[in-house]
This record gives sequence, structure tokens and C-alpha cells, in this order.
Amino acid sequence: MTIKELFTRKNQFATRNVGPELVLVPLRNNVADMNELYTMNESGSFIWELIDGKNTEEEIVAALMEQFDVDERTAREDLDEFIGSVSEMIAKS
Amino acid sequence: MNTITLSIAGFKIKLLSEAGVKIGVEEGYLPFVISGHHEDADISIKTIEKKHLTGDYLSEKDLIFEAKDSHLKYYSIFREDQGYKFFIYNQEGPNTIQQLAYLDEGLTTWTVYAGPSGPGKEIFPLLYPLGPLVLYYLTVKFEAIMIHASGILDGKKGRLFTGFSGTGKSTMANLWLKSGSSVINDDRLIIRAAKTGFVIHNTPMFYADSPKVAPLHTINLIKHAQKNEVTRLNGANAVSGLMAYCIQHSYDQGYIEHHLDFLAGLCSQLPVYEVGFTPHLEIVGFIKTYAV
Repeated sequence: MTIKELFTRKNQFATRNVGPELVLVPLRNNVADMNELYTMNESGSFIWELIDGKNTEEEIVAALMEQFDVDERTAREDLDEFIGSVSEMIAKS
Repeated sequence: MNTITLSIAGFKIKLLSEAGVKIGVEEGYLPFVISGHHEDADISIKTIEKKHLTGDYLSEKDLIFEAKDSHLKYYSIFREDQGYKFFIYNQEGPNTIQQLAYLDEGLTTWTVYAGPSGPGKEIFPLLYPLGPLVLYYLTVKFEAIMIHASGILDGKKGRLFTGFSGTGKSTMANLWLKSGSSVINDDRLIIRAAKTGFVIHNTPMFYADSPKVAPLHTINLIKHAQKNEVTRLNGANAVSGLMAYCIQHSYDQGYIEHHLDFLAGLCSQLPVYEVGFTPHLEIVGFIKTYAV
């Protein structure tokens, strides 16, 4: 899934920041799996906010490097891991 | 106009019907009936008699939520121009409509169409599952949440125990009762903010029980375990852990975020624990020591 595709699916979730973390609740039209919720740590929450339909992957990587003082490779790995996790989350929702 | 007013979890619910339409409440609601005139009701429910309810099923695109399992269908919710429409199904017959209900966009005014079902030909507007649905929308309109949980008052401390069905909410409540605590309820609670913190209320059950309220001091997410153990939860883990057991309709982003806001506030002020326990009286002393 690309950043652009992820952005179009963000509205399938209700969210709430809890400190630096994020709680996500999938929207559903039935009672099945109503107990399924997700949380994101600080870096995940940061990336989620940056996926706004305008920021490119490169811009998000640069922002991660600056915010968390990590090198480019680590930032790219974090972003790839995030995209993988969220893609799975969306697939299940 | 006939009226009956209920006070449930501090919410005033006014039931109304025209002259000639007899309304009543089931046994579990009787202790929550209050006397007197109440112009300050939080919501009103007007009952109109209609004996034969058919499935005037709107097109699929208007269906926004359904509650059903492999055996039964409980209710369907449709979006209307100015609010919601509900088909409430009879639990004794597949897809037989027991009540047709409307709720305005302000979540304040219900209109319920139903036929008589009481021994005296009265209509029960809060007949299950509409009663709990009404309570749910109260928690959406106001600062409150409804949760599958047991609650006890141990001297001055109110404790809430929540978890999936079968994890021991009733067992836990019973153990605290044996140790001298009072039980607010062993199945479902409404949590509200109060001037001095948060409180837990019981809600009408299928049996009659008096209205109860207690201050809330600790929240415990329980599960069966080989030995008693406790872990403090913080931040997003606390909020999401608790939200999983709250009664939710996940079709509306605003409703969910309203409840997430409430829980975030609750979890920022009260300790949340994950408690593994064995079903013996020792868990009471263990919790008093470690989940304070």
C-alpha cells in the first residue's frame, strides 16, 4: 500500500491521541469484532499525522530523521514497518 | 397524556403516551421509576400504539448498523433525514419486528411504535433490546459510557472489573461480596463524571434491583490466570484496553471519538490495572494490596 492509498483509508478509523501515542478504532456497521482496537507508539502516531495526502514518503522520512534523531536507513525502516502494520490493520477492518 | 419518569444513572427519562394508550415498564425498570412532574427530563420517549409492524425496509444504502449473531437479529439502524430509524426485532421470532423507533438528530426525542405486550395490555416502550439502546444513546449525548463490567464498593473505594464474557466479572463481584463489600452490579455499569471524580451506576436488569451508585477509584481488566498477578496499564494501552469492553456502535466516528475522549480523561485520573486471578477469596486481599 502506498502513502496515498493509506491516506484515503484514514477515515475508516476514529482516533484519539493519548499523550504521544494514538488509539485507533475501526469504523464498522455491525457488532462483529467491536473489541478490536489498535494503538500506535510515538513514532507511529507521528507518521499517522504526517500522512495527510500532501507529504511524500521522502518528506516523511526527513521528518522522522529530524524528530527522532535517527539516520535515514532507520527512518525508512520505521516507515516501511509502519506501512506494513497499517496495511494489515486496514485489511482486517 | 400519560407519563412515567425514570431516573437511570442520573439521567431522567420521560415516557409519554396519549390518553387511551397504556404504557408500562418491565420488572427490572420498576425500581427506577420516580414520582412527581419532571419538566427537566434529559430525553423523552413517546409511545404510539401500532399493532401490526411490517418491515418497511429502506434501501440498503440507508442501513448503517445491525446487531445480530448467528441465531438472532436484534436491531437494524437506518439513517433518516433528521435522525435515525430503528427496527427492533422480536427475540422469539426471526426478523419479526417488535418495535419501530425513531430518534431525532439531537438524540433527545424518541418515538416508539409498538403493540401491547403486557398482561394488562400495556405497551412496554423499553422492551429489550430497545431499553439498552436508549441508554447507549444517552452515553453518546452526555459525558458517560456504558461498559460490560461488575462494580463493587469496598468501604470507601469503588472498584470496577471488566473483561470478555466468561472472564469472571460476576465471580469477582461475588468474592468481594463474601468479603463484606457491596455489589453495585455484576454485569453492566454506566460510568459518569461527577463533581468529586467518577461514579459507577447500575442499570435496569431483567430482575428488580434498586438503583445504586458508588464512587470509582480503580479500574481492573480481568482475566483467568494460574496465579494472582497485576500489571499497571498506562497511556494508550489503558484507554484501548478499557474501550474494548465498552458498549459501542462503531458506525459513527464522532460517537467513538466522544467516548475515547471520555475514557482518556478517565484513564488520566484513575489507575487502570490488568489483573490475572484465580477464583478464590485471596484475590480480594491481593487487589487491595497491589491494585490500589
